[in-house]
Amino acid sequence: MLSKNLSYDIIDFVIKEAEGYDTQVIVFSSEEGLTRFANSEIHQNVFQDETTVSITIFDGKKQSKIKTSLYNEDGLRETVKDALTNLEFLLEGELELPLISSPELIENDDYSNDLVNLFGIEERAKVIQKGINILETGYKAYGALSYKEKNLAYGNSTGIKRYNRINSLEFSTLIISETGGSGYAEFLSNRIEDIDIIGGFKTAYDKAKMNKDPEGLEPGAYTVILEPLAVGDILTYFAYIGFSGKSIQNGSSFLIDKKGNKIFDEKITIIDDYTDENTISLPFDFEGTQRQKVKIIENGVAKDLLYDQASGIKDGVDSTGHSLNVVDLGGLPCNLVMSSGDQSVEEIIQNTENGLLITRFHYMNIIDPRKGILTGLTRDGVFKIEKGKIVGAIKNMRFTENMMEAFNRVEAISQERARTLFADGNFNYYVPALKINGFHFTGKTEA
Amino acid sequence: MKEKMFKVLETLKKHNVDYADIRFNDIIKENLSTENCKVSDLSISRSQGYGIRVYLDGSMGFASSQELSKIEETAFKALEIAKASRLVQREKIMLAEKEVIVDHYETPIEIDPFTVSKKDKLELLFNAEAEMRKHANLFMTQGSMDFRREKKIFADTEGSYITQSLYESGCGITAIAVNEKDMQKRTYPNSFRGNHGTAGYEYILKQKLVENARRVAEEAVAILNAEECPSGVYDIIIDGSQLALQIHESIGHPIELDRVFGSEAGYAGTSFINPDMIGFKYGSECVNVVADANVEGGLGTFGYDDDGVKGQKTEIITKGVFKNFISSRDTGYKLGQLSNGANRADGWGRMPIVRMTNINLLSGDLELDELIAGIDYGFYFNTNKSWSIDDKRLNFQFSCELAFEIKDGKLTGKIFKNPLYTGITPEFWGSCDGIANEKFWKMYGTPNCGKGQPMQVAHVGHGTAPARFRKIKVGVADVK
Repeated sequence: MLSKNLSYDIIDFVIKEAEGYDTQVIVFSSEEGLTRFANSEIHQNVFQDETTVSITIFDGKKQSKIKTSLYNEDGLRETVKDALTNLEFLLEGELELPLISSPELIENDDYSNDLVNLFGIEERAKVIQKGINILETGYKAYGALSYKEKNLAYGNSTGIKRYNRINSLEFSTLIISETGGSGYAEFLSNRIEDIDIIGGFKTAYDKAKMNKDPEGLEPGAYTVILEPLAVGDILTYFAYIGFSGKSIQNGSSFLIDKKGNKIFDEKITIIDDYTDENTISLPFDFEGTQRQKVKIIENGVAKDLLYDQASGIKDGVDSTGHSLNVVDLGGLPCNLVMSSGDQSVEEIIQNTENGLLITRFHYMNIIDPRKGILTGLTRDGVFKIEKGKIVGAIKNMRFTENMMEAFNRVEAISQERARTLFADGNFNYYVPALKINGFHFTGKTEA
Repeated sequence: MKEKMFKVLETLKKHNVDYADIRFNDIIKENLSTENCKVSDLSISRSQGYGIRVYLDGSMGFASSQELSKIEETAFKALEIAKASRLVQREKIMLAEKEVIVDHYETPIEIDPFTVSKKDKLELLFNAEAEMRKHANLFMTQGSMDFRREKKIFADTEGSYITQSLYESGCGITAIAVNEKDMQKRTYPNSFRGNHGTAGYEYILKQKLVENARRVAEEAVAILNAEECPSGVYDIIIDGSQLALQIHESIGHPIELDRVFGSEAGYAGTSFINPDMIGFKYGSECVNVVADANVEGGLGTFGYDDDGVKGQKTEIITKGVFKNFISSRDTGYKLGQLSNGANRADGWGRMPIVRMTNINLLSGDLELDELIAGIDYGFYFNTNKSWSIDDKRLNFQFSCELAFEIKDGKLTGKIFKNPLYTGITPEFWGSCDGIANEKFWKMYGTPNCGKGQPMQVAHVGHGTAPARFRKIKVGVADVK
């Protein structure tokens, strides 16, 4: 993996090779060791070391983009040459994008030596074995434990530099009983004090033990308590279909013409906050813009949207620092934080006469982005609540729900919040559990 | 390169590995996107590196790098990882026998897409966009082209040495119509960046984007102004592009043998099928499905998989009866079978896992008109818009761009928006009572099949013709 200085050297080399042009360079260098287990044994165990250099050369409204893994001098020289050649016949895009020129430097180092020492190749195998050892006969463990190191360096021909280094651990486990009941737990963190692999195994195991002899329920509207993993899934779709300026410009967002209007229950506040200590942070975006904290929903009222440079120019506003260097996405929230409520999950359950506790969702997708209608299935634990107590397990069900309406039927929000993965674990959200009345299940399954 | 690879493999043999292979990939991709007759994105990428897979005492390790100078170091890293895997190993991983192969495979292409100028490619997209804009009042138009060339070198401790040059091409157009309450899209030749195949630039020319642009534009506006599709239980016909995804989700994934054995349980899910179900009734008598890595132009067509096993054709469902899974050497061994050549990685940094090749529903013997004539009242579903299926691949729900109304055995000309249908896999395939003939049969590419940890995105194909299904649940508005 490349050091900061080597990454900066690559940036300087590319900019010099493209002298005379506005140029931006992103050097992304990562290492990942991932140990996967199934049927209570390791079946896949992999390591990847990868560095890519993404170069964009601007000529008025023309942008020549090229990405390469060949980062030695010859490889880079050739890549810049290709990018310049492409400029010659490239047709103009819609906008001329100015390069970010301030602040001159943003650097952040979130590297933990404890993580690298505790989660090397052999240590990962040993802690997985320890987790498997807590299971009684008849239960098997599945999942993955991954240790990642990532360096991201950015520079452009105005002379600015950006650098972020982080290491993190991601863990997920599914415990399945021989009769089919399953339980699940996952987490992502870069703080050693948050990491409790055995605790994760126990959480999933406890759920799997509860998840037995499930009964089938007929489709219909039910009161649900969505645990944070399920809430995180919904927010991920909100991020893609509704929270960006680009999604409004595309005509696809459920927030079109809603700014300043109350769109959700007043208990709901959602902020994209990279400064929150519970998020994996990147203080700048892939255009070099300093990331901003953006209030998207405040007390149920639609506030501000997220922008990259291009979508910002179209709306006459500044970029909020949320580019992922993917034009189609515009600005994307990577660190959504949802405000907590005033009851514990246990209290919410106790205050529920009839309802369903949902662990997480599976394979969600968009039915109608303008109305915020999503579909998906429950997975790894649906539990029936009667008179304030969990009384049994329920078979998985399919929901098809208008989330604009559902988020207006929020009766309670938990005090507890959890990190949920976003963008393949490169970022995370931090969300509570939600109690929603009249949540629509439209199908059932034997899965 | 060959000498270097075999030298490292010899070193690994001296460390008593059961088996090892080295796979070198050099991948070039070119993605062009246009929006409202302007270039919205033109990206080129190149990725070069290698992965080394080692099996030691029945435990596996995989390490990858971009640095050829570190090939020995990477091999030892893979060995170290295999030793760590051994700490949590209950049952040794064994590999089914295979033939030792020394060969070269190349996608047959007429026009190398990387020799066609980007200007020509963009002009074709602009012409298609202009044609769409000329014929309808559209909020937005889009076009895209995607090209990929992968050079692959594979060598293993058993003596195989295989080189491959694989080409892919794909393109599509989108018309978007918007009013104050709604936004609707119409795409061609398929949604989500169009259709894709293993082919050269001739594939792009054959799609006839400009010639189809007017229809696409007019249909986008028509969908915007259409009524919502009714909910209820109806007989339906599903067009090829949607049926391709139905095959993908409800046949392709459940027959992956690694899912069946639980490899993906913690992530993508498992399967409702198990090895005892060979011979079970997957669908009606007219449902015949094969996995065919050799079909011309299929996005899942290749010479050899990443176990070094030859791409082949395997019976999956014959007259509705389930016959075979798709497999790798390690999963095939567990069933006492040879691999049927479906173990693939999406690049040098990933280990191969069981992936679909081209999972094809064979054509039937009916004209499309005959399929339609057999419906009193129902719908003809066109082009995928959204998909979702449970982790065992039983309960699915798909929505499409539009549905044409069928009444008294004829298309009425009326269309509906936001049509969706839902069902349970074996019941759904059991309700198939007619498939259109070979005139209507076509290959569709799915270039976005996600699976595995770390995530891998496979490019797979599905051949199909429109087919008729009886008593299908359409819409969910009636579920209160």
